[in-house]
Amino acid sequence: MPLRSDPARWSTVAKTFHWLMALLILGNGAFAFWMDGLKPSLNKINMFALHKSIGLTVLALFLLRLLWRAIDRRPPDEPAPRWQQLAAHAVHGVLYLLIVAIPLSGWAFNSAHGFPLQYFKQFNLPALVAKNPELSDVLGTVHVYLFWFLLAVLAAHVAGALKHHVINRDDTLRRMLPFGRAKRKTSSLPGDTP
Amino acid sequence: MNTVTRRLSALALAIALPFAASAADYSVGPGSTVGFSGKFQGQQFDGSFGKFTAAISYDAATLASSKFDVTVDLSTAKTGDNDRDGALPGTDFFDVKKFATAHYVTTGFTKDAKGNVIANGNLTLHGVTKPLALKVAFSPNAGGARLSVTGTLKRLDFGVGSGDYKDTSTIADEVLVNGSLNLLPK
Repeated sequence: MPLRSDPARWSTVAKTFHWLMALLILGNGAFAFWMDGLKPSLNKINMFALHKSIGLTVLALFLLRLLWRAIDRRPPDEPAPRWQQLAAHAVHGVLYLLIVAIPLSGWAFNSAHGFPLQYFKQFNLPALVAKNPELSDVLGTVHVYLFWFLLAVLAAHVAGALKHHVINRDDTLRRMLPFGRAKRKTSSLPGDTP
Repeated sequence: MNTVTRRLSALALAIALPFAASAADYSVGPGSTVGFSGKFQGQQFDGSFGKFTAAISYDAATLASSKFDVTVDLSTAKTGDNDRDGALPGTDFFDVKKFATAHYVTTGFTKDAKGNVIANGNLTLHGVTKPLALKVAFSPNAGGARLSVTGTLKRLDFGVGSGDYKDTSTIADEVLVNGSLNLLPK
């Protein structure tokens, strides 16, 4: 599997970022709803700490992903009406924004509540805002609603990918699958044509 | 003895008494605190007790007769966090229904290598009595004196934090205890 993306498929690095972050985000979201229902206990505190550490990991991975995106090439869009290509990119943009906004809102929520923020019991991170119970309530709600919003946008993202895969039968999904191979050779890089 | 002699003896006694080998007694004035610092998820938090009583006899020159006797009302612990302050008096921590107070009483004073005065004593907390050494800083001032003490204990030695709460990777075992007393002459 190539380290860098080529016209036919996404690179191993890009795929790893995509699927690892998808797993962490959805897993951490589901985990959050489960841990929220726990009875008050030290275990609950530790579970929350784990949720925060995973969220910070997503944030850190996102920064690395942006860096990689700046270095790596990108396979060209598969043929589709212009509006669909624009919509797909808009969805990507909103997902990126949410990948940043959800951890940051959680971090600010944590700070406003006055909790410490310790990364996997290793080191502490500073508070983003001063302790403020009213703000904490607002940020807690924002944190949850942003996740619901992410699920809605994700539904569009997944629907688009499936539409390309099932209806258009093109490589949009296949070239991002962990062990997927492009069905057909993409003719050439846009710049290769004479 | 005639009257004059008796009077002179009484006078001599009155003058001599304060200089006898006994430390000065103090009462605790406003602006005094007794508190502690712990660590939760790698971050220090500071607590203090709203109610405590202290009987302090101290003189750096007559340490042998100096004594601290402090009783703290554990239900008055405040650490600046409602969740924590709600949990501290409960059975997982201080269990104030069974053990309402903590009591510290000195057994003697020594000096460490650097010349600091060290109070040696016993702390009774959560039904457990263990030795606790406190570093003493005593500075006389116009109104009396300022007495500052600091020491370190291990909360689990006293069974503070039961069950899951024994987890020292979340709540550190070491707790710093401190007192800063504004002493007024009795």
